[in-house]
Amino acid sequence: MTSAVIIVLREVLEAVLIICMLLASSSALGLRFRWLPPALLAGLAGALIYAVFLEDISMAFEGFGQEIVNAVLLLLITLLLLAHNILAMREFKAPQIARLPALSLLILSATIAMAIVREGSEIYLYVYSYGVVAGDMTSVLAGGAIGTGIGFSLGTFIYYGLRTLSARHCLLFSSIMALIIGAGMSSQAALFLAQADLVPAAEPLWDTSALVAESSLMGELLQAVIGYEASPIAAQVGMFAGALLLSLVAMAIGIFSVRNLPARAGATQTQRSHE
Amino acid sequence: MAPSRHIPDHSGRRLKWLLTGAALCCVAMSAQAQTPVFEIEIREHLFYPSELKIPAGQKVKLIIHNRDATPEEFESYELNREKVIIGNTQGIVFIGPLKPGEYPFFGEFNPKTALGKVIVE
Repeated sequence: MTSAVIIVLREVLEAVLIICMLLASSSALGLRFRWLPPALLAGLAGALIYAVFLEDISMAFEGFGQEIVNAVLLLLITLLLLAHNILAMREFKAPQIARLPALSLLILSATIAMAIVREGSEIYLYVYSYGVVAGDMTSVLAGGAIGTGIGFSLGTFIYYGLRTLSARHCLLFSSIMALIIGAGMSSQAALFLAQADLVPAAEPLWDTSALVAESSLMGELLQAVIGYEASPIAAQVGMFAGALLLSLVAMAIGIFSVRNLPARAGATQTQRSHE
Repeated sequence: MAPSRHIPDHSGRRLKWLLTGAALCCVAMSAQAQTPVFEIEIREHLFYPSELKIPAGQKVKLIIHNRDATPEEFESYELNREKVIIGNTQGIVFIGPLKPGEYPFFGEFNPKTALGKVIVE
């Protein structure tokens, strides 16, 4: 059962981080949570489809379909987090006067759905083949429930942590989290491409596994939050730095796109204190 | 007069490009052929062989045959690799180039039994 806890927790961690962070920004952007159930359902449906067709997907692209789909999903999430940062910074600079609710809903929903697809498919494969087919249902389900529970308690902690901040500070923190998570995901995408021999093979640049082992609890947490990699190759470091830079540019674009709007900071400040 | 002089000139250039392309393909294919191939099997949630020796400083193609009916995820923190291999199929991962040393790997769905390591020397 302990293996089931760890397997599910490892998969859940990354998705939970993104979901809870985006929920916090969603309320700071003045959106209700009605968009969440459809986004979760879309993600779960996507995960199911990915898992069921994994054999065909794996065989595609000369046996590297899995790597390509994973890399594309990770890069799409990075781009969506970047779009989130533009929206968050618009709101940060001009609270309540430059909102794009429809676009925000679309971006938040798509990010969450995609974050669920990849990790969800692995959980489904594990639970289906080791629980349902191999008949070890109780331990797989119990372990899975505990793993999911730990993941979501961590997520709740992050959500309420962000919500204790003022709306503007919440958006700033969420953007910084999104920037770092996105960079980590881009670095992971580079790794999948290296696995498929689609980026030039190279020896790792450095090795910090003696300092923080990737297999340790700290390593796993750091991996989920900042995309920690003990022995990265140059392509990973490049993608990480590139995504970080692009996200900062996106945040600057967000701020500059609303700089000429009439400042109503005083009015909104008093409004928020009444909320 | 001018067009007729241009046509042979153009086709000659095209032939040159074609030959260059073909030559590049040959180089790429021979580079591909030089990548050593290693194979491991998963049976009853165990890796065979559980220790695999590969040369240092060289990219290697690793083919993993999953002979079980259940899926397995080939995973390694040290090799930085992860790939789900559905039951009764095979998966390919490229690894390396690596420095000499030991690089453990495991099956994520059976982390207590499915253990192995790549020994680079």
